[in-house]
Amino acid sequence: MSTSTGKVFGKDLLGLGLLFLFLILFLFSDQVSTSERMESIPNAWINVNTIFLSIVIEAIPFILLGVFVSALIQIYVSEDTIQRFLPKNAYAALFPAALLGAILPLCECAIVPVVRRLIKKGMPLHTGIVFLVAAPILNPVVFASTYFAFRNNPTILYSRMGLAFVLSIIIGAILYSIFRKKPDQLRNKANVSLASHHVHIEEDQSQKRSGKPGFLARVRDTVYHASDEFFMMGKYLILGAFVAALFQTFLDRSLLETIGTNTYTSTFVMMVFAYLLSLCSEADAFVAASFGSQFTDASLTGFLVYGPMLDLKNTFMLFAFFKARFVIAFMITVTFIVYFSVIILYGLIL
Amino acid sequence: MKNYDHSFHAFIQGIILIGFAMLILSLVLTGNIVYYIAPTMMPFIYFALVTFFILGIVQVFRSTKDDEEDSSCGCEHDHQISGPSWLKLIIYGIFILPVLFGFTLPDRSLDSSVAANRGIQFGGGSNPQAAEGNVNSASEAESGNTARAEAYLDDPDGYLDSIGASSEEEEEHYTMEEIYDEEWFDDYYQELAEEMLEKDTVIVTDENYLDMMTVLDLYLDEFIGKEIEITGFAYREPGFDPDQIVAARFAMTCCTADASVYGTMIEAADSANVEDDTWMVAWGTIEKGHYKDQQIPVVTEAHIEEIDEPESPYVYPNF
Repeated sequence: MSTSTGKVFGKDLLGLGLLFLFLILFLFSDQVSTSERMESIPNAWINVNTIFLSIVIEAIPFILLGVFVSALIQIYVSEDTIQRFLPKNAYAALFPAALLGAILPLCECAIVPVVRRLIKKGMPLHTGIVFLVAAPILNPVVFASTYFAFRNNPTILYSRMGLAFVLSIIIGAILYSIFRKKPDQLRNKANVSLASHHVHIEEDQSQKRSGKPGFLARVRDTVYHASDEFFMMGKYLILGAFVAALFQTFLDRSLLETIGTNTYTSTFVMMVFAYLLSLCSEADAFVAASFGSQFTDASLTGFLVYGPMLDLKNTFMLFAFFKARFVIAFMITVTFIVYFSVIILYGLIL
Repeated sequence: MKNYDHSFHAFIQGIILIGFAMLILSLVLTGNIVYYIAPTMMPFIYFALVTFFILGIVQVFRSTKDDEEDSSCGCEHDHQISGPSWLKLIIYGIFILPVLFGFTLPDRSLDSSVAANRGIQFGGGSNPQAAEGNVNSASEAESGNTARAEAYLDDPDGYLDSIGASSEEEEEHYTMEEIYDEEWFDDYYQELAEEMLEKDTVIVTDENYLDMMTVLDLYLDEFIGKEIEITGFAYREPGFDPDQIVAARFAMTCCTADASVYGTMIEAADSANVEDDTWMVAWGTIEKGHYKDQQIPVVTEAHIEEIDEPESPYVYPNF
């Protein structure tokens, strides 16, 4: 550190000032928020703020959980372990990845840091993608909430779970065939303009490390990792939550009802809607149920399958961690596959 | 890594983490957290609160260490906030703003403008009979729904009994288990309906709100003529008669983003004086009415009293 003493002092002051500001606000939050100036803010913006904060506060515990799992993987799971457990054949690896997604109860906020970490640890890209799209739907909490929300209509529950399992494998296979030649799709140091990381060089680490670190050192590393990753993920979550809050507040849902009855258009519209709302996969079933009878089963299934796989807030995170071309290919694949599978499932089979 | 000031970034990050923890703590202490998060999710919020404090304090201590390079993990470079200083400012701004918004902007429940955009549901939208129409395709819904509704209206108990049998025939993918569950589901509402019918006045509370909405939808005929007491915020749609007003509630599952709107139509002579978004209690008689081709319960000859916002402005599902 070759910074002058004066500069260091200034920087410390900045941090202390921020802490002081938070303390003042903590103590006098009531007075500030009930003051006339704050009360005169238009209601619409208070609504945006309420929804924005509710998404952020609700997602944060799950981001933290994901970040801890990711930190634990970073420290405790070696590349060898991943190589040993995954089948050598790329297509054969898709199935166990979908099963793994079904076992781990991670929602769509928590899954992104975990998948990124696994890919960095040497998990093949397409396997990670299967995991990314399967885990948020195929988990016990989502199963239970969908069951309760659609108690009268188990078709929706089974098509949601069944499609998530099958489609995650298909999506993984398609992306594998596209990116077989270029498996490295994580962003690296070459384009740090948006993201804030670069490829992790494992060899350096094991050479530097003299012997196994103690338990305390591991705990400390886990905590360091967790807060570092929170700052990496958090900014995209917050931006995504803000845009989603705007749509939540200002989008008139009766517009949807005018398009609601035709299966082809309504499925598409509901998928777009799921994307914009960026709901947690644990709660989206209740929102879908609240649309009630104006919508076809096909469109509700589209809403419930597409939303957890891809939505506004995790698009921000995906662009941060993967190369843009890959994210676009991923989004197009997921959109087409989900749309046509839902149409085919409800048009021909059910 | 030569110019990356670890201790500065760790310090700022630590302060921001503590800021988040303080915001959550403040919301929990003032009880204003109910405007954002459903009570079932609170354990997760406490987890976040404690974690933020720990992470924040660890981060601040980390900043006092001069040399980061001795970290056994050796991957600090993995997480640097890089780029020009204006970018760093924006990135930290993104984290600081929600905390500032949370502290400074008033905590309020969603209002009727959001209700209008989300669309209000008269009665329990997700109950079996009302949603029967979406079991298969839309075309079936149109033909099947009215016939079923009529069958139900003619003979409620007989129709309910027949549901188990008919769904077995119609929907081959129903397993025995689900039919049992459906019966349990109906039994639950039937018991609640019977319990309420015994009372002089049906009182819709915060706790039984969503169940009562469903019950009123399912057993509306039996409730006709009963006295009812219901609480909600005032909401109107264009095209209402002057004496019509809706007592509305937002129902939340996890967070405010998933809140949907339920409402009961009230017809009261003094309703014109009640402004939108005012909280009110209405007493009146249950009658059958229609709104937008939908059969709904209506509270007629009602008397309205304005009240303060209830402690829990939102209602929650009972599971």
